[in-house]
Parts: sequence; structure tokens; C-alpha cells
Amino acid sequence: MRQWYTIFQKEMLENWRNFKWVWVPLVILLLSIMDPITTYYMPEILDAVGNLPEGAVFKMPTPSPVESIMMSLSQLNTLGVLVIILMSMQTITGEIKSGVSEIILVKPVSYSNYVTAKWASFILISLASLFVGLIGSWYYTNLLFGDLNFIDLLKVFAFYSLWFMFIISLSIFFNTIVKSQGIILFLTIVVVMALNLLTSVLGKYFNWSPSQLSQHIEDMLLTNHISTDLIMSAIITIAASLLLLIGSITFFQSKKIVE
Amino acid sequence: MFEGLEQINWGIIAPLIVIQLILMVIALVDWSKREVTNGPKWLWLLIIIFVTTLGPIFYFIFGRRDD
Amino acid sequence: MTLLAVKDLTKTYGSHTAVKHVSFELTKGKCIALLGPNGAGKTTILRMLAGLLAPSTGSITFSGYKPNQDIRKEIGYLPQYPAFHSWMTGREFLIYSGQLHSLSKKEALEKADLLLKKTGIYEARHKRIHTYSGGMKQRLGIAQAIIHQPKLLMLDEPVSSLDPIGRRDVLTLMEELKENMTILFSTHILSDADEISDELLLLKQGHLLESGPINDLRKKYQTAMIELQFTGDIALYEQKLLELPSVTNVINKRDVLHISVTDVEQARDEVIQKAALELWPITQLTMNHSTLEDLFMKVMTK
Repeated sequence: MRQWYTIFQKEMLENWRNFKWVWVPLVILLLSIMDPITTYYMPEILDAVGNLPEGAVFKMPTPSPVESIMMSLSQLNTLGVLVIILMSMQTITGEIKSGVSEIILVKPVSYSNYVTAKWASFILISLASLFVGLIGSWYYTNLLFGDLNFIDLLKVFAFYSLWFMFIISLSIFFNTIVKSQGIILFLTIVVVMALNLLTSVLGKYFNWSPSQLSQHIEDMLLTNHISTDLIMSAIITIAASLLLLIGSITFFQSKKIVE
Repeated sequence: MFEGLEQINWGIIAPLIVIQLILMVIALVDWSKREVTNGPKWLWLLIIIFVTTLGPIFYFIFGRRDD
Repeated sequence: MTLLAVKDLTKTYGSHTAVKHVSFELTKGKCIALLGPNGAGKTTILRMLAGLLAPSTGSITFSGYKPNQDIRKEIGYLPQYPAFHSWMTGREFLIYSGQLHSLSKKEALEKADLLLKKTGIYEARHKRIHTYSGGMKQRLGIAQAIIHQPKLLMLDEPVSSLDPIGRRDVLTLMEELKENMTILFSTHILSDADEISDELLLLKQGHLLESGPINDLRKKYQTAMIELQFTGDIALYEQKLLELPSVTNVINKRDVLHISVTDVEQARDEVIQKAALELWPITQLTMNHSTLEDLFMKVMTK
């Protein structure tokens, strides 16, 4: 346990020194507030661009607070996921490539400590970033479109953070079986897209899939009720993440450390 | 041309500007400490300063070389 | 007393066999050189001993452990091209290394400062590692390998990338460390092995050609020789010398003839007789024994 904490602390320090603790939350924040702001200013933007005929009145329905939050989640589902993968895609392969792992893993380092400490440190950054982003989204939602209960926001955070945890687990998993960062990025995105696709095509069978989380979160906000589907999705997501983590440790142990 | 300019709600815009500024400043700090980047170093300076928002982000993702 | 026993160790990569049925033992307290040209399999052997590579066949047994058991606690290892977390300071990296070896933060801190002083990089302890020179990295590399006082220290080509001063410093440091631990280091340079090692393991193309205490090997391969110098064209005499009964081989090295012989005194008499008869313009005749370098060449080409 002491060794786990040593590695965890090292990861935290590293991600502080390379500014991940600054830029990732800021980028996630930008992504979260982008759509609510542009939607609010859309009439002015169209007006300023001036393509509308003289006297035309452009009317857009003002989004509800729930719609506003969901716009944020929809950005996070695409670009947000990309950022999370980009920040974590070289955490293990990078160390193998540079050769540091040769000097570190020749010490009595437990492979599961090594993998899980990295996993935890990246989950911590992702969740902190998500929290910052959601607070931003909440601020603009209240400012521009109407009140949203803070408790509701916390619920969104609690469930949506599982999705980010799943993404980190995927990225770490591919880190332990592939060497190239590009391939890790590619495979992680392919898996996420395949999951999204399967979920939308075969929704009936994939109702509890991790990528259904945001749909169930929206239902929760609209009905003010945590559905069984949401709970089941959450449980499946946690289970899948843990399985990926166990898989990562197993693969990492069996793998050649040096190239 | 932009008639609403004087009525701009700073509560909406100020946070955006602050975020962009912080991103640019820490990108510049990192850039100045680093001897080598992926690709020409001076090019990244231009990208960080002149490409709003995306410049610093691209620098962090693709420009810096973890060694 | 045997610290580590290697039996029938083989490593195969696809169709290429890097290490072939190698067996040896490391005696506790000795400094052992793993000597061989590039590509002989030195790094592969060290990596297998360090647990970074799994042997294809064979066993590695550390004293007090079962064969092929995880012995990472007992060893310190410095790769040939050590890479560090270069965003850390030298001191931070040493403390981190110590903590990974389950020292407490306080112990790791004290040991780190001690080793920084011992290896001569204390002044640079708060500098980021990416600013260190090659020699400083090598010293930091040794410091991180001994922070837990390992029983066996393994160094892969510890001096080959260093300038003469750095090389001298590292050799001196190794000389000091010999007192407290068993050292196994690889090198392709004979003089480095000759200078500080007690025992040699000679490796070529994955085969262990010869092993043993350096003095025993010297005796075993010692052959008497005579060195002759002439004025004028030296090549004329090579063939004539070979015709003498006691002469087995003649090599021309920079206008000095190195003559291997069966019996040095008899050969001397034969050479002198022949020279007097034919009035050879000899300037110098030396009776000598072969050096370790000859042994190295002999073993490596055999």
C-alpha cells in the first residue's frame, strides 16, 4: 500500500509538472461551456453575419436548463472523450519507449501497484476536470437559460464520471497490450465508436451499455427519478472498468518490459 | 458592425477570456522551459500566441515532448 | 560461497538465439566481468538475471531463493543506456527509487543525500535530470542501483559511453563498492575488466567460452614468446623463423615479430644460432609471456 501511494504521488507530481492538472480541466471547461454560450448568442451571431434578408426575424427556441446541460455532455461525449484519451495514451508505453521502465521495474515494484496507481491518478484528473466543466456549464445554464438544481448537477457528475472512468480504463488497457501511442488512440476511439454505434442500432439489447449513460442521465433530469436503467448502466460501466483494469494488470505482467 | 458590443454581458464573456489567457500563459511558460519540441520551436511560439484557444491546447497535446 | 547460480541459460528470439546454454556461478564478494564483443549476449544475460526478460530455458538461482524466483529485492541494476524520469531532480529520483524499495521516506531521504555526495553529484541534486551530462547520469544511475544496498550489483557497460575522466571516476567508485557487494558488470573493453575484476566470463555469440578467476585464466593461457626487432625488411625473416623446430607461430605487429614458442630457452638458442650464421640485423631480442590481451584475442577467435 505504501508503494502504491509512492507511485500515485509520483504520477500526481508528474502531471502537475507537465501542466496536465491545468490544461485538461481548462479544456474540459471550455468544451462544457462552449455550446450553451454559442446557442445563447446564435441570434446575434446570425445577425452580425448578416445573411438574413432585411426585416427577417430569426426566432430560435430558448433551450431549457436540462437541454443546456445535455449540450455540455454531448460535447464531452465526443471531444471530451478525445481529450481524456490523448492525455492518458502514453502513460505506460511512453515509459517503456523511453526506457525508464527498465530502471523502475527492475526494482521490486508490484505490477498491479504500477498499473492501478496510474489508473487512479488519471481518473482523479478526469473527474476533477469533469467537475470543473460541469460547474461552468451550471453557471452558464443558470445565467442564460434558467435555474438548475445544484443537487441535480451533482447527480449528473456522479453518473457521468463513470463514463470517464470507463474511457481511462480502456486507454490504460490498450497501453498494456500495444506499444504505439497512435494505435492506442485509434483502438480506444474505435471501441468507443463501436459501442456508440451498437447502442444506437441495437438499443434494445444495449440499454445498459456504458454509452447509454448520458441518455439515462437526461431522463433522470427530466423525470427527476433515478431509473433502474441508469443504475444498471452504472453497474455495468463499473464492472467493465474493473475487468479492463484486471486485464491490464494481467497483460502487463506477462509482457516483456524491454523492447 | 457589431451593435450589441457595448451591451456585452461581461459575466458571460470574461470567464472565456480568462480561460484562454491562462492556457496561453502556461503554454508559454512550458514552451520557454523546454529545449526541444516536436517540430520547430519557433513555430510553436507562433501557434500558441496567434491561434486562439486551440493553439495552446495543440501545443500541450502534440508540441511538448515528454522526456 | 555461491551467490547466484546460472544453469543452462538460453534465450531465443524467433529464429535467433542470443544466449546459448550458458552456465556459471557468481562467488559472493567478487567483482566479475562479463567480457565479450558487441552482440555476444551480455545485455540479454544481465536482463534475464534482473528479471526483465524471461529465459527460454534454464534456471537462475539466487542463494536463499528458489530457482527463477523474483529476486528484484536483492539486486541493483544499471542499464547500458539508463533513462530516468527526467522531469524529476536527481534527489527526487533517488528518493523515489528508495521508496520503491520500501525504504521509509526518511530513510530514503538520508540515503539519497549520502549517495549524492558519494557519487559526486550533490551540487546538482536540485537540478532536473534532463540538464545532467552523460557522466552525471551514469553516477545517478549507479546511485539508484545501490540505494537499497543490494547483494548483487549489475552494471551494463558502465564506462563505455564515458570520457576518460568520467570513466576513471566510475571505475574508482566501483573499486569502492567492491568492498560491500558482489558486482557483475559487462564490458567489451579488456583493460576495464582487467583493472577491477577478480573473475572473468568470456562470451562470444551467445556462448560462454571461458570463465574463472582472472589469474587462473592468465596462467592457463600463458604461453612463452620471444619478441624480435630488426633493421631493414622484417618480412624476410618470418618464414625462416617458422622453420625453426621450437617456433609455433610468428606475428608481425608494427615491425616487431612476436614469436610463439614451445620452449622459450631452446627457441632463444635456435634463433641466436640462426641469426649468427646468417648475420641477421637484430636490434633487440626480448623473452616474454603473452598478455591478457593475447588471451582475449585467442579466446575470441578460437
